[in-house]
Amino acid sequence: MPTVDTDTTRKEIREFIVEAFLFGDESEPFEDGDSFMQQGVIDSTGVLELVLFLEENYSIKVDDEEMTPNNLDSLNNLVAFIQKKKQKKQ
Amino acid sequence: MKISDLLVNAAAAFPKDTAAVYLERSLNYRELDQAASRLAARLRRLDLEPGSRVAILFENCLEYLIGFFGVQAAGLVGVPLDTSLASENLNYMLADCGARVLIVQGKYRRHLSAILGDNLSIQLLISDKPIQADCPSVPFELLSDIVGGDGDENPLPSDSFSSDLNTLSDELAAIFYTSGSTGEPKGVMLSHRNLVSNTQATVEYLKLTSDDSVLVILPFYYIYGNSLLLTHVACGGAVVIDNRFMYPEVVLDTLEESKATGFAGVPSTFMIALNKSTIARRPLKHLKYITQAGGAMAPEVTRQLIAACPNQKIWVMYGQTEAAPRVTYLPPDMLEKKLGSIGIPVPGVEVKIVDTSGKEVASGETGEIVVGGPNVMLGYWNQPDETAEVIRDGWLVTGDLARYDEDGYFYVVGRKREIIKAAGHRVSAKEIEERILEYDKIAEAAVIGLPDEVFGEAIQAVVVLKSDCESDEKEIQAWCQKRLAAFKVPKTVLFVDTLPKIQSGKINKLKLKELCQAGAQD
Repeated sequence: MPTVDTDTTRKEIREFIVEAFLFGDESEPFEDGDSFMQQGVIDSTGVLELVLFLEENYSIKVDDEEMTPNNLDSLNNLVAFIQKKKQKKQ
Repeated sequence: MKISDLLVNAAAAFPKDTAAVYLERSLNYRELDQAASRLAARLRRLDLEPGSRVAILFENCLEYLIGFFGVQAAGLVGVPLDTSLASENLNYMLADCGARVLIVQGKYRRHLSAILGDNLSIQLLISDKPIQADCPSVPFELLSDIVGGDGDENPLPSDSFSSDLNTLSDELAAIFYTSGSTGEPKGVMLSHRNLVSNTQATVEYLKLTSDDSVLVILPFYYIYGNSLLLTHVACGGAVVIDNRFMYPEVVLDTLEESKATGFAGVPSTFMIALNKSTIARRPLKHLKYITQAGGAMAPEVTRQLIAACPNQKIWVMYGQTEAAPRVTYLPPDMLEKKLGSIGIPVPGVEVKIVDTSGKEVASGETGEIVVGGPNVMLGYWNQPDETAEVIRDGWLVTGDLARYDEDGYFYVVGRKREIIKAAGHRVSAKEIEERILEYDKIAEAAVIGLPDEVFGEAIQAVVVLKSDCESDEKEIQAWCQKRLAAFKVPKTVLFVDTLPKIQSGKINKLKLKELCQAGAQD
């Protein structure tokens, strides 16, 4: 199992969020540490789409208990969460 | 009696009881009443004409409550605005209602330049954050300075403005904007009688008391959220605010930790909770009741909710903004027997099913729901023709098609007007079509709602491109994203050569739905 390339992961997830929730509009960019909830980037149904994207692209299973801001509510949190999940798998 | 009396009465009866909780902060009834009175005193000093509008652009938080009840205590008309809307929509509503004061949360300052550029009627801006740099031309005051109570300025006792408690006032209390079939949003004018009578009826059938508290995830600017607020203030209960439903586990933690006795949601709330949370595995030992409204929930989802929450009373309810909002409710003990029903009329409200000539239909036959009672709105703001279309001889014509069974239980079978109910929002197909048609590559556009497990209905756009033009789904969505609120952006866009039409040339949306649904199954 290769280790997670955090820069690539960060870039991929950012691209997904910009495409899926901002429809390609980057006029109001968000920082890596910005809360999606505070910034209004993603709503409750958007989180479900995000989780689906993570599960399909990073071969992980996001449990219901793991759907928390600590894991999902910023790019930094997402990258750290994927890293943690991958390490657990190894 | 007016809406402000609900708070005055609660503050007199339960001064030290919690009125609202938001994260680590809370207000008891005395504190809320005092803060609202101070804001009211400031608003009164503006010498606005009676009935002047004060718009509120705040997400759910304690300041929203102070703003809402402050406006009411000042005898003015509150206009809660949808915080998810684009500047263009907000601008329209503020200009339409001619708001004189805007109470705005600092996080929405990005809208100010667009809003204030065109709305010269606004003479005071009040915010929780120092945002005067965004609006140098309009006088600005901090909400905390107004309600802070440094002792220099004692507000008038709130009860000095109370109205006659025995009669409900017919004066305009609030305007709630809702999507209309004509495209532009319509301001639903609700009087004190509308809101107070419906609040009292709801408290009565839900049997709410001062021991109750409800976890609120629905926005207060939405009439269902507003109803949660008013019903719990009316009984001296509490609202526990949590805006983080995008993370259902966090909200469920709040539900358990706060010991809230009630929880309210729209169909997508329960779809998400049932599919992506641990709700079925939690004891929820303090939760007594769950209410569901905001669109029809599939009976299968109701069954799952009953299985996940066997110890809670589940109330299915039906209503609309124009009815302030509650029209019918299904008593929990009839839920399984009458699955799929919207129940019986709420106390004091009459419901009839009529045919196209206005004659009542027999049991089992389909007709349109019309509503009579003290909850029927005054009308649409500045839209007498639209009002005349939906209020006939004092009855509200809902546009919902339904039947009733031999026991008098009502069942909605469809909607007459082209309003899509996506994720609890009422969305006008026409408004989206109009925006898409503004794109110079588009020849024809039709927008429909397709059944969706999560959203209730998902917005589907079907477009015909002009000759020699090329486009794709993302391009159309991006176009809409810049012109519409996020919840109105089509989830999918289908490109076709022609749209099916009926003889008059109108787009045949029934046929279109069939085509799209057949396509989705391929």
